Amino acid sequence: MTAPLSLAGLDLPRRNGELAFDAPWQSTVFALAAAVVDHAFAGDREPFRQQLVKAIGADPGRPYWESWTAALEALVSTLPERARSSSSVHQAELG
Amino acid sequence: MGEHGHHPAPPSPVEQRVAALQALLTERGLLPEGFVEEVTRRYESEIGPMNGAKVVARAWVDPSYRERLLADGTAAIAEFGFGGAEGDHMVVVENTATIHNVIVCTLCSCYPWPVLGLPPAWYKDPPYRARMVREPRALLAEMGCPLPHDVEIRVWDSSAEVRYLVLPLRPAGTEGLTEAELAGMVTRDSMIGVAQL
Repeated sequence: MTAPLSLAGLDLPRRNGELAFDAPWQSTVFALAAAVVDHAFAGDREPFRQQLVKAIGADPGRPYWESWTAALEALVSTLPERARSSSSVHQAELG
Repeated sequence: MGEHGHHPAPPSPVEQRVAALQALLTERGLLPEGFVEEVTRRYESEIGPMNGAKVVARAWVDPSYRERLLADGTAAIAEFGFGGAEGDHMVVVENTATIHNVIVCTLCSCYPWPVLGLPPAWYKDPPYRARMVREPRALLAEMGCPLPHDVEIRVWDSSAEVRYLVLPLRPAGTEGLTEAELAGMVTRDSMIGVAQL
């Protein structure tokens, strides 16, 4: 907690129907993280969440989906060269 | 993206990084064909605040459901078939005449996806994450939700373990409305706790 932060400049959405993504690459990188969580970490989201916390903490002013991208890059770099087989056929547990 | 779609700008650095990730994951067999499209479609059309609105409306009209919802949010929400990613342990916090609840994630962007969809941009931004903890009353007023001083504000910091959903107060004068009509009144912001109905 340092200097007062202001919401000035942020366009605060008021509606329910707001689009979740502002650009196609954002929805893509969101889905890529879901794929890695499902298929390389057996649905365990905690490793990705930890990378996301780290990425946001490292550069708090960076746009959110860019931090998300950095977090996913960091997580993928921890995977073994030959990723675990995605032999299981379970669907993405996204809802 | 500019206005002239037929002259697309070259990919930005972050777009190139995402494309590289996509190629790498595909090569490693971690990205089934059509996965990106399917996930995007689901979050744009099936998973969103309309789910939470149904839960809230049911709690308003059905006292036994409200009781179950407050006792075990995850189970009561699962009665609607909502659950899964980011909704493993849901806690529902109820607004009253004297208590106003609001949710935040101070560390990243934890949010109850199954009932609210993906978080709005401001929820993920540092000003909201910091100020909602430090000066919730002032921030809520700035966001269009001024509260009388005798209303206690409870700020719930979401985490990997627990996701919160606010059960807003049922607006006065809605006694004659059906459950579906009530659900239509419930806004996303009221379920985050940054608005009243």
